Amino acid sequence: MAEFRLPANSRPVKGITHPAPPGVREARTVRIYRFSPDSGENPRIDTFTLDTKSCGPMVLDALIQIKAVTDSTLTFRRSCREGICGSCAMNINGINRLACTTHMHDLKGDVRIYPLPHMPVVKDLVPDLTTFYAQYASVKPWLQATTPPPPDSERLQSKEEEERIDRPAACILCACCSTACPSYWWNSDRFLGPAALLAAYRWIIDSRDEATGERLDALEDPFRLYRCHTIMNCTDVCPKDLNPARAIAEIKKMLVERQG
Amino acid sequence: MSLRSPLGRVLGLGAAKQGVHHWWAQRLTSVALLPLSVWFVVSLLALPALDHATVVAWLRQGSTALLLILFLLVAAWHSQLGVRVVVEDYVHGNGVRTLTLVLLTFVHVLAAAAGVFAVLRVAFGVTA
Repeated sequence: MAEFRLPANSRPVKGITHPAPPGVREARTVRIYRFSPDSGENPRIDTFTLDTKSCGPMVLDALIQIKAVTDSTLTFRRSCREGICGSCAMNINGINRLACTTHMHDLKGDVRIYPLPHMPVVKDLVPDLTTFYAQYASVKPWLQATTPPPPDSERLQSKEEEERIDRPAACILCACCSTACPSYWWNSDRFLGPAALLAAYRWIIDSRDEATGERLDALEDPFRLYRCHTIMNCTDVCPKDLNPARAIAEIKKMLVERQG
Repeated sequence: MSLRSPLGRVLGLGAAKQGVHHWWAQRLTSVALLPLSVWFVVSLLALPALDHATVVAWLRQGSTALLLILFLLVAAWHSQLGVRVVVEDYVHGNGVRTLTLVLLTFVHVLAAAAGVFAVLRVAFGVTA
């Protein structure tokens, strides 16, 4: 059956409360999920007190500050700090989002930071995205065409044709959408999830691609595609304001369209 | 433990190459159920009384029996399609899932057949 409770060894317990650094001017409580695979212990929720006056404005700044000042063992992914790499996706105050584009002052009450939901945890805020990336690879996210490109130029698209793929192609593969999807939680072994389906859609509607039929064939499956029940958490959480739910609906429409 | 590659695991047994029919049938049956269920409720409410004799007389009209049979068949079909999705979502393990789906299909066919049989029995005048 679907899992409605965490397994006994995954349930978080109360963790360490770190004292506030001396001379705090504006205190903010941050609770962070901690898990170390080496300790053999349950995950725990550590409490940190942060001086927001001496810290940058974003949640990522807070994490970096905590790692630098209070606890250097805190583990998280980050790279670009401007919402384009997708590394720092995590669950902040109950919503999947990028730590680098989330303002501390937009969050109400204590800041609660967890890894992306329903994924295996490597350490602290780092989820194991192996399956997620394999699902992306499975939709063959590259141009497939039999017609060779013109010898003296690139493959051309009209402005309108480019506009169709412009938004879907802006996906940064942060995994916020897929890990917000209940269908993905229960059936991620067979359902591809919104991110991979958005990528598939981006190639299906690419005017230069000639594998449209094969791409649709590969998606026509009760689990791969039709586990989507238009819950729309994906579109709700996307930090790039993309619309995977709509892309999936368009794929379903195309599958009906080619029936007759 | 499996040493199969993550991509190999995701590709699994391949695409079933079906699912469109189920999805389309679910939409089609829900569209058909809209007028049918409105008709059912409205005509029941429009009856002068809800006693046994009045309802039996209503059921003996050809159009009533026909629409009621349609309503029962479409409702059973729609329910079967929907319950199948719920089972596929929440019941894991191939054996248990297949068994549950088979049993639920039987239940739906039985319900539809029993409903049609009951309507015909009343409509063709065999009073209990």
